[in-house]
Amino acid sequence: MLSTAQRSVRYLSVISAPRGFHKSALEVAERPSPEETVTSSFGRFIQSVQPRHLSPTVLQRSKRMVLDSIGVGLLGSTTEVFQLTLQHCQQMYASDDISFVYGRQGVKLSPTLATFVNGVAAHSMDFDDTWHPATHPSGAVLPALLAISDMLPNNSKPSGLDFLTAFNVGIEIQGRLMRFSNKAHNIPKRFHPPSVVGTLGSAAACARLLCLDRNQCSNALAIAASLAGAPMANAATQTKPLHIGNASRLGLEAALLASRGLEASPLVLDAVPGVAGFSAFYEDYAPQPISSPEEEDHSFLLERQDIAFKRFPAHLGMHWIADAAAIVHKTLVGLRGGSISPNMVQDILLRVPVSKYINRPLPESEHEARHSFQFNACTALLDGEVTVQSFHPETLQRPELHALLSRVRLEHPHDNPANFNIMYGEVEVTLVSGDVLRGRCDTFYGHWRNPLSEESLQRKFRNNAGAVLAPERVEKLIEAVEDLEHLDDCKPLLAQLQ
Amino acid sequence: MGNRAAQILLLRCFILRRCCEYVKLLISQHCFERQVCQTLFVTQVGTSTSRNSKILFYYLILITNEVGVKSWFHSCTVVPNLYKCLSTGNSVVMGDSEDFWNQPTRKSQMVLYICVALFKTFCQSPEQPEPDLSFKKGIGRSGSLLSFKCKAINVNNKFHPPAVVGVMGSAAATSKLLGLPPAQSIAALAIACSSAGAPMANAATQTKPLHMGNAARGGLEATELALLGLEGNTQILDLESGFGAFYPDYIPRQLADVNPASQYRWVLEDQNIAQKRFPAHLGMHWVADAAMEARAKILDKHTNTDVSQIQKITLRVPLSKYVDCPVPVTEHQARHSFQFNCCTALLDGEVTVESFSKSQMNRSDLQEMLLKVNLENPQDNHPSFEKMYCEISVETTQGETFTAHCDTFYGHWRKPLSHEDLLKKFRANASTVLTPDFVEGIIYTVDNLDSNQDCSMLWSYMHFNKQHMTHRHEHCFSLSV
Repeated sequence: MLSTAQRSVRYLSVISAPRGFHKSALEVAERPSPEETVTSSFGRFIQSVQPRHLSPTVLQRSKRMVLDSIGVGLLGSTTEVFQLTLQHCQQMYASDDISFVYGRQGVKLSPTLATFVNGVAAHSMDFDDTWHPATHPSGAVLPALLAISDMLPNNSKPSGLDFLTAFNVGIEIQGRLMRFSNKAHNIPKRFHPPSVVGTLGSAAACARLLCLDRNQCSNALAIAASLAGAPMANAATQTKPLHIGNASRLGLEAALLASRGLEASPLVLDAVPGVAGFSAFYEDYAPQPISSPEEEDHSFLLERQDIAFKRFPAHLGMHWIADAAAIVHKTLVGLRGGSISPNMVQDILLRVPVSKYINRPLPESEHEARHSFQFNACTALLDGEVTVQSFHPETLQRPELHALLSRVRLEHPHDNPANFNIMYGEVEVTLVSGDVLRGRCDTFYGHWRNPLSEESLQRKFRNNAGAVLAPERVEKLIEAVEDLEHLDDCKPLLAQLQ
Repeated sequence: MGNRAAQILLLRCFILRRCCEYVKLLISQHCFERQVCQTLFVTQVGTSTSRNSKILFYYLILITNEVGVKSWFHSCTVVPNLYKCLSTGNSVVMGDSEDFWNQPTRKSQMVLYICVALFKTFCQSPEQPEPDLSFKKGIGRSGSLLSFKCKAINVNNKFHPPAVVGVMGSAAATSKLLGLPPAQSIAALAIACSSAGAPMANAATQTKPLHMGNAARGGLEATELALLGLEGNTQILDLESGFGAFYPDYIPRQLADVNPASQYRWVLEDQNIAQKRFPAHLGMHWVADAAMEARAKILDKHTNTDVSQIQKITLRVPLSKYVDCPVPVTEHQARHSFQFNCCTALLDGEVTVESFSKSQMNRSDLQEMLLKVNLENPQDNHPSFEKMYCEISVETTQGETFTAHCDTFYGHWRKPLSHEDLLKKFRANASTVLTPDFVEGIIYTVDNLDSNQDCSMLWSYMHFNKQHMTHRHEHCFSLSV
């Protein structure tokens, strides 16, 4: 199917002229074959990955990511920030009926804007998947691929396998880039990771789906680097979802510009002394070339490091504390029966990692609530669980919740670092009666060490997608994703989203 | 309708007709067959459908598939001014020859284009806001942001400054122009911050101009989102995890209050701009001026600067990897090469726009001379546009040495271009695409910008491009090869 596309792309693509290097770069490039540079190894990898390189594990895991990301995006289309962004795109840009928009039947935008808006939807409630080292990989990649697929003519849509290959390229690139820095293993301080690696991941995935040659793939990454990077301060604000939206959209733009021959630094991923490329976003930067997918020892990162899916729309760290608090809730209900009253509680102690950005004693907005240990612990304590509804305005303002919030204090044990692989959450509730109830969670249900079952994942999807789509469409989507690698073209998937 | 208005209308109809013909030509050339990769094609058309004869600009985005073709023709819809900023921002920065500030960035271009684009779209009422003030405010904001940081005074080593502060300046200027209240202006800045930053590695590549274009559009988009009610972090400029993320050491200061009682001191009053005489990185100007002086000394003694007579050229310049390029291959590299600009100035007595053309770059005597250049980085020569200097020593085969030194090039803020020279530069630049009367029209309008109630003529002048359509034709044919 894609061969027509490949011919056409080569028809349009520009053969880049040989490039000279700046002096500092000459030292790096002096070795005879250009394969040696990290940047060119990435370009080669993107171009040369084939469907046969995807193992069954990788296929299965990535399909789960696709399903979850679509569901989360569909639910996200009900949010205010999505509506605002959509309105912006419709008003400030000329209309362009190409690519679908989540949850708005018949509404289409240009591919880059649809990508933007759908990416915003995916991250609007902080409900999308999380990886280790920390980023939200799917939301940055999937919207762009869906938009491209919509854009392609009816007789040359990508096959399901091509789609999955491109998706996995986007995920793999993000994972590799994050491993260039040790600091990336912890909850980040300066730049929001999806805005850094997500943009390049999107560029890589789009370059793959558009069948760019290896030089164009490298250039796509380099151009994307100039479009990457958003500071952490905007996380836990209404602007955060735009980080994913923009990552996806700008990655797509970078790939499109590269396809037209735009060139950028050929050493953007390499560590060149005195020349800041991708290293600009990290304090410690140690890049590694990526080996060819043909090589024996190559495996996709997704094979060895699974994804975490969230059970409720909040920062990942909240899931530990919610599960720990749920244990206490259950115990309390067992003891006293009936519902929990704040009057029973004297003191609530949370043992959590240090992270200013998710330590909010009295959150005022839903965004802040999604990034508040205190809020999620108290909600789970009261209700036994945290759900989508927990963040609705009425539920946010509950007096009993506020009463509990005022009794919370935090402790940061040394053995509890801000690292999604190692952290834990502990809740200690001291009752007025003097009893002390404890709950601890090392691995919440949905974490990569304790993945959601197929049933649970599908249940989450049905709840999310069902908020905006008719049940038949929801079921057809589940089917289409389940069967994705066997589809000759991805029209069955796209059809349910139009 | 007056004679002039009739002329303008005719011209616009002509342009619109040409565009339609061009589209038909593209279709007939099968450029739109069912192909995979989309080609983004941006063009502009002026039309006078507006009742009060202001120009509405259409930016038609063409995508090479059948759906795209159908959506080619739009009627009276909202101006996609974001794309305009991107395309306009790009075409200006290509030459790398606009004005340049102390702290290295290139604010005024993008801010100007933003103001133009926005003003055009939103200013329908007789009560016109002041584009001039927004422009200054945008520059002022960018300047204040830069002066937060001591390190920013030196050539920034991780992020390209226009991509960092430029987007904030753009957001500030557009917020002012659209009359956003303080809370929304803050939101605009916060949202813009999430679009800031591009690594230096892409400087000296074809992508660098996109930093400017994206900064312009990012700021504009941020303001538009803020207008719709999007919120960001209200402490964005205070936090290290906010705007501070782009700097290793971040010490923000509050802006002074602006009120009728006090006199606000603009950064621009204390710190003037540098304006380039030729399209290259600012550091090249020191080198060029020093080389020109050395050349004059050589010519005093000998009748011509024969390349074969020169044995060795030593340049004493600050250490900066971005502009150390011994043998540049592309024009982008040439604009960022101490060596190239030195040799051009030695050979020709000046560096001009033409110097970066392929034919000039490939000259054999130039290529030969490049091999004779050595760079030295003295300790006292700081990579700072406030402090750097360039010293050149030319040794001849006969054993003579000619030395020259440049502390402040002509065009630097310490030695600004005279008004005549500034106009000369403008005329030379503008007349590549505009006819003489429009060039003079712009000069007049800008000169009277602060006293003019209606400055809409300013952008109307900028849209009558002489060779616009011809270039596009050539571009399409090269794609189909």
